[in-house]
Amino acid sequence: MSAEVLVFDILAVIAVIAGTGVVLARNPVHSAISLVVTFVNLAGIYVLLHAEFLAVVQIIVYTGAILVLVLFVIMLVDQDDLPEFHKGKPLQRVFALLLGVMLLGEFAAAVLTRTVVGQPGPWTEENVTLAGGNVQVLGQFMYSGYVLPIQAIAVVLLVGTIAALALARPEDMSRRPRARQTGTISLGHPRGMDGTPLPLPPGVAAARQSPQGEMRDGIMIVNDAESYTDTAAFEYEYATLGPQPGDRKRNITGSEGDE
Amino acid sequence: MNELSANHFLLLSSALFIIGMMGVLIRRNVIVIFMSVELMINAVIVAFVGFAWEQDSMIGQTFALFIIAVAAAESIVGLGIIMALSRRVDTVDVAEVSTLRD
Repeated sequence: MSAEVLVFDILAVIAVIAGTGVVLARNPVHSAISLVVTFVNLAGIYVLLHAEFLAVVQIIVYTGAILVLVLFVIMLVDQDDLPEFHKGKPLQRVFALLLGVMLLGEFAAAVLTRTVVGQPGPWTEENVTLAGGNVQVLGQFMYSGYVLPIQAIAVVLLVGTIAALALARPEDMSRRPRARQTGTISLGHPRGMDGTPLPLPPGVAAARQSPQGEMRDGIMIVNDAESYTDTAAFEYEYATLGPQPGDRKRNITGSEGDE
Repeated sequence: MNELSANHFLLLSSALFIIGMMGVLIRRNVIVIFMSVELMINAVIVAFVGFAWEQDSMIGQTFALFIIAVAAAESIVGLGIIMALSRRVDTVDVAEVSTLRD
């Protein structure tokens, strides 16, 4: 039993145990941490397979980016939204276990009875070293024969980013802001807004004809702002209807206390 | 199996794939199902790299890199869907989300 096999066995056993932990962990955060352990062990196995660049990419992309994203989503999702662990459905679990055992048997039979067909390629360990190393050879491969897939991947990533933006956008941002309600607030209007005004009581109307301005089509045309707006809307109401029962006594500030 | 052979890696790959598949089948939390899918993708990458190592080829590693890129895009979209699901129907339980409409 060579040292390579020993290293592989250690890495593989830890990876499988951690992978089981992903499925069996009660807390999703524990699942994510188990997934990190699995991915790091798989990176070690890639190193064992002389795929050093892939090992680094595995660490950076999976444990660095995707797992952090998963943890963010776990934190962002409301904890009340999480389903209870293994609530019901024992039949489903039994079927899944049966299916898994059957599939594992099939895979093992297929792997152990297979024969290697085809000619081995030119990239033995010595040739890779002669060409400069794993990264150099992979770069030659990807940017000579696989240029079109590289560009397709670029488009896929761009579309994925746009889709994530569209999906994760808050709900109220998707609604268009309504057109702002525009209206005129005329200084000369008794209630401060446009519309049909109540008729002014005769005394008030006469008092307001001069010298501040004149009524024209229900709008008071005033000479300047201060001359009219010192009379508030509630005061006009008071003057029209008189004091109401249950009304608190309002402090009417007429024009210079001539009330 | 005293020497390291591709069979080792294929067996590891199938074990990881089946673990991921059972996670998809058993669990009801969408986030855990998503992580199980990531596990299955990694199992496939292990098989690719193992075959490439056996055949002294670089094409397997190139394909593995493409798989990682596509998996990254998939994870972005998947996590976005989970976020939208949590916000819109207030659950990440697949048993409760059985329809495509609200």
